[in-house]
Amino acid sequence: MTVNRRRFLKLSATAAAMTAFGGLGCQHTAPAVDRATMLKPEWTKQTTTICCYCAVGCGLIVNTSLKTKKAVNVEGDPDHPVNEGSLCAKGASIYQLAENERRPEGPLYRAPFSKEFKQVSWKWALEQIAHRVKKSRDETFAVKNDKGQTVNRTEGIASLGSAALDNEECWAFQTMLRSLGLVYIEHQARI
Amino acid sequence: MNGKSFFVDLTKCTACRGCQVACKQWKKLPAEETVNTGTHQNPPDLSYNTIRLVRFKEEVVDKKIRWNFFPEQCRHCVDPPCVGYSEVEGSMIHDPDTGAVVYTELTKQENYEDILSSCPYNIPRVDPETGVISKCDMCIDRLRIGLRPACVTSCPTGTMNFGDREEMMDLAEKALATVQKKFPEAELVDPYETRVIYLTAYPAQEYYEYLMADAAQTPRKGLTRKQLFAKLGGAAARMRS
Repeated sequence: MTVNRRRFLKLSATAAAMTAFGGLGCQHTAPAVDRATMLKPEWTKQTTTICCYCAVGCGLIVNTSLKTKKAVNVEGDPDHPVNEGSLCAKGASIYQLAENERRPEGPLYRAPFSKEFKQVSWKWALEQIAHRVKKSRDETFAVKNDKGQTVNRTEGIASLGSAALDNEECWAFQTMLRSLGLVYIEHQARI
Repeated sequence: MNGKSFFVDLTKCTACRGCQVACKQWKKLPAEETVNTGTHQNPPDLSYNTIRLVRFKEEVVDKKIRWNFFPEQCRHCVDPPCVGYSEVEGSMIHDPDTGAVVYTELTKQENYEDILSSCPYNIPRVDPETGVISKCDMCIDRLRIGLRPACVTSCPTGTMNFGDREEMMDLAEKALATVQKKFPEAELVDPYETRVIYLTAYPAQEYYEYLMADAAQTPRKGLTRKQLFAKLGGAAARMRS
């Protein structure tokens, strides 16, 4: 490419104008895409929550569309004492916990010895879970241990997760598990 | 008022990539399908959909490893060469209040090669389907409602700072004085030419070849402001021919 004199002059002239007037020569001010409008109360409802991913417990602000009832923006809460608005890469992507086309659209079931998952209805899945929990719990429930001490527990069921629950949901969940007599209760958030 | 600026203290960056993801979250830019290239740097380069990227570089100096992190973005030059190269009215906006350089959809009418070659930092990327050129816009929509850019809000370590230019210059010089006690080679990268002022612990070339404008050929020390301006102009002129 040879030296383009017209462009060269144009460049120099623009640079000189910018320096002299500090950019006042520009007439256009509208941003190309204004995403900030969606944060206004006319369009979205603002709620706070706690990040579910690890034990730090960063505060989040969620903006939910009044029209579609879906989250449109999730970011760190600058007023939260734990993170003061900051988030790690995982926390910053938390919007996709709900809004992600790769999420399964319903419960998946793999029958014993089957190689494939198939989609099932929530009604069927929840009934299956309830029946199996009841069966395992009744079969393995122990009132006393070997030493004759009262324990009222089941060692036949363990709970792992869920990574997508926040603090308050976890509390309700573990309360239900302990009322069944579970002792093996684990959660990913201790990492 | 001299507009806004970023101050990026690379001595504090842990390369968590919170900023990279926060940027995508705010702008709802899609992920890219990539392969493992043997580094945590992912995607491997900036693109139309990745306008902010944390670069990772390993250097072995005196048998000790230096793992340098560089969160890359548009520098929003004080006198942006790309705007000077623009041939389409309204395709590039140099916002008078903030100093942000904002590209619009009209950039699809520009000659991408010219725009890219005008950039001393190798930033603009083109959408191969639409021809629209894309880069960081300083989250100018957020600024207008009083929020900081998404990357700055999300930074957990204090690497990313944003505010009035005078305030950031002041912060940068104070941070430099502190950091120099531990890292004698520390320097501020192109502070008078750009609105994104990086503080490096080691020479800029040890981070990325385009961290400093034309870093390959620019002697780093003892340059006056005027000489640096001349270097910037020189870089543009060389690319033109």
